[in-house]
Amino acid sequence: MSDFSLNVSTAPHVRTNDSTTSIMRNVLIALVPALLAGVYFFGFRSLIVVGVCVVSSVLFEYLFELILKRPVTIGDLSAAVTGMLLGLTLPVTAPWWMCVIGSGVAILLAKQLFGGIGDNFLNPALTARAVLLASWPVRMSGAAFVNPNLLGSVDSVSTATPLAYGAKLQAGGASILDLFLGNIPGTIGEVCKAAILLGFVYLLITHVISWHVPVIIVVTTGLCTWLFSGGGIETPLVAVLQGGILFGAVFMATDYSTCPMTALGQVIFAAGIGILTAVIRCFAGYPEGVTYAILFMNIVTPLLDKYIKPRIYGEPAKKKGGDSVA
Amino acid sequence: MNLLPLKTQKIRAELFSLGKKYVIMIFNANIISRKEGDGLLKRSFKGGVHPLSRTHEGKYLTRNKASQPFSPEYVCIPMNLHLGAPSEPCVSKGDTVKLGQVIATPVGFLGLPIHATCSGEVVDISEKQQLGPKKVMCITIKNDGLDTREDCLPDIGTCATAAPKDIVERIKQAGICGMGGAAFPLHVKLMIQDEKHADTIILNGAECETHLTSDFRTMLESPEDIVNGLVAIMRAMDSENGIIAIEDNKPEAIAAMKKAVEGHKDIEVVALKTKYPQGSEKQLITVTTGREVPRGKLPIDCGVIVTNVATAAAVKAAIEDGLPLTHRITTVTGRVKNPCNLYVPIGTVVKDMIEFAGGYEGRIAKLVAGGMMTGPAAPNDDFSVTKAMGGIVALNAKEAISYEEKPCIRCARCASVCPMGLNPARIKQYCDANDMAGAKENNVMDCIVCGCCSFTCPANRFLTAAFKNMKDRITLASRLGGKK
Repeated sequence: MSDFSLNVSTAPHVRTNDSTTSIMRNVLIALVPALLAGVYFFGFRSLIVVGVCVVSSVLFEYLFELILKRPVTIGDLSAAVTGMLLGLTLPVTAPWWMCVIGSGVAILLAKQLFGGIGDNFLNPALTARAVLLASWPVRMSGAAFVNPNLLGSVDSVSTATPLAYGAKLQAGGASILDLFLGNIPGTIGEVCKAAILLGFVYLLITHVISWHVPVIIVVTTGLCTWLFSGGGIETPLVAVLQGGILFGAVFMATDYSTCPMTALGQVIFAAGIGILTAVIRCFAGYPEGVTYAILFMNIVTPLLDKYIKPRIYGEPAKKKGGDSVA
Repeated sequence: MNLLPLKTQKIRAELFSLGKKYVIMIFNANIISRKEGDGLLKRSFKGGVHPLSRTHEGKYLTRNKASQPFSPEYVCIPMNLHLGAPSEPCVSKGDTVKLGQVIATPVGFLGLPIHATCSGEVVDISEKQQLGPKKVMCITIKNDGLDTREDCLPDIGTCATAAPKDIVERIKQAGICGMGGAAFPLHVKLMIQDEKHADTIILNGAECETHLTSDFRTMLESPEDIVNGLVAIMRAMDSENGIIAIEDNKPEAIAAMKKAVEGHKDIEVVALKTKYPQGSEKQLITVTTGREVPRGKLPIDCGVIVTNVATAAAVKAAIEDGLPLTHRITTVTGRVKNPCNLYVPIGTVVKDMIEFAGGYEGRIAKLVAGGMMTGPAAPNDDFSVTKAMGGIVALNAKEAISYEEKPCIRCARCASVCPMGLNPARIKQYCDANDMAGAKENNVMDCIVCGCCSFTCPANRFLTAAFKNMKDRITLASRLGGKK
């Protein structure tokens, strides 16, 4: 009879080919264009910054799990994604120790202390960036940004005079095309919008994310910044092409762990990020609001998940108290 | 606010209406999306998945194989062929039985009689391990190969003339239960209480499960029987409409059924988009009628009765030919040498069917009774075909993957594919925490155990299994609580 032994697992017996690892790998692939653009504009040092972040993130996760005798999860590549995201949001001038501290904050403080993958309520990379921004503001903004034109690595566009990269990022010297291609100062990953869009398209094709959250964020940010600035910014397009909004919308806000699970929740989440970014940009002292806007909405996410519930099949429409499960 | 320039105000108003339109677009498009294509109205529902989409749902192996009769040496008929209490054997060892003779009598409200599915000698009545957790009483008959028939049930007229009361009684006598999977006794579905009225009868020919082609073959080979059975059920229920719903990956079946319903103005053949779980009762009702079964209620509460196409064919045979339900088409597929559709007596042992299909192809690692999404995995091949078993799928080690559960990454794919609108990830947290009240509060009881969430989960979490377990526990607890 039983000359063979059969596997008796529960149904369903077929599953999608997607796995946590494959999703994370796709995110890494989607980040490659932004990284390459960073290398192109800011030189090979960007590769070192990102590399240090990735290696130290993976190492932190490995050591933490080793010491606490938990299953080691570096194979799912999520730590590598966190490291890469962090590296891409740093200026190319970031010293190596800042990269390591950032990775430590991201992996240990934001991720592992809250239970590891899926249980963190703040985006680890952004948390680290916020901590670095608060701790070493000079190294993280303003003067830390290198103008690619001054490196001489790009075709000689005639912006000879160094622009004043003060509190407000002004589009003054750069044309729309420069903003789009990334021929402007900024962090490694955020400058080249074309590369980010390429990554966005890749994530859409591989079904890692849906278009809703990024598009809503970008649209609300653009419109709100334009409205709030009272004519200071000519078109919503310019508002969107400045700073890290596109990078944040595509790669940071779509982080599974920290964004709501329902469609309506995601819309509110995305719109909230857009509005907050515009508010911080226009009315607050910080030059860049995306980081804090996303972190703030991360904190709101559990609430959104708690109170927004999709309609259940067979539930009476628009009536309360349908709790009676027979 | 009035301080804003007029232009800005205008823009704001426009933005508001645009946003409203956009939000409505996202959320309303979900419920039923109807697409025109091939001249057919293809219908779909919110959520769902498409398993094995690259291999035509695994059906290509057997879809063009006409059903062939197979008469095994022995049949082993379990007493729990239907949902409800197992029937009571009324023959003893050594008796000679004829095909169609009653060998077990019904027990309880959901009980059904069981008929001998071949003629021969009763050689054994004992408890045997079938697919369920407990051993079950089985009657084993040695087939004499003659198929000597018991006298047919008395003539009550044709499907178009029989009295409604006779029809329901005959369905019970013939031991007919739903042949799609749940094995719910059909006559109980038809015994409607209070003032309820089923204005629509839906025949489920979706066969959305992977690999199975038994319903498909039934629709191709006996479309008239199905239509006549439907007419009988409609007459018994005094229903106005009949719907035969078929997934659009079976165009031949759609064509055959369309041809068979010519002349029946009250019956409509509906093409459904190929998507799992189109054949789930609730989803089927919604895509075909636009109605929803109220939570915790039955389809009859929205005026609908759903049954399988093969069941309707069995109804026709019971009424017009006086034959009880003794045979069915079942698909033997996967890693067998000659995948096929077999017309077998109920109680045929799977091992014999596999042998008839040429034996296993290589070493197999899993045997699934039914489709890949809901079929239980069998511990061995020594169990019987039941009235509701549409097929058997053999898998090799490469296909029978053991998955390791990983942490949830909150990707929300489970929630996006759940056809019931639940949040499986959240419910699973309560299941893992053993929190029955919490799971119930998050509507675990609405779960239809379709398997979409587990299918789509990138962390390979055992969502469906956990929910099934939790549902069983809650049901048990409420029953025990009721007794106190």
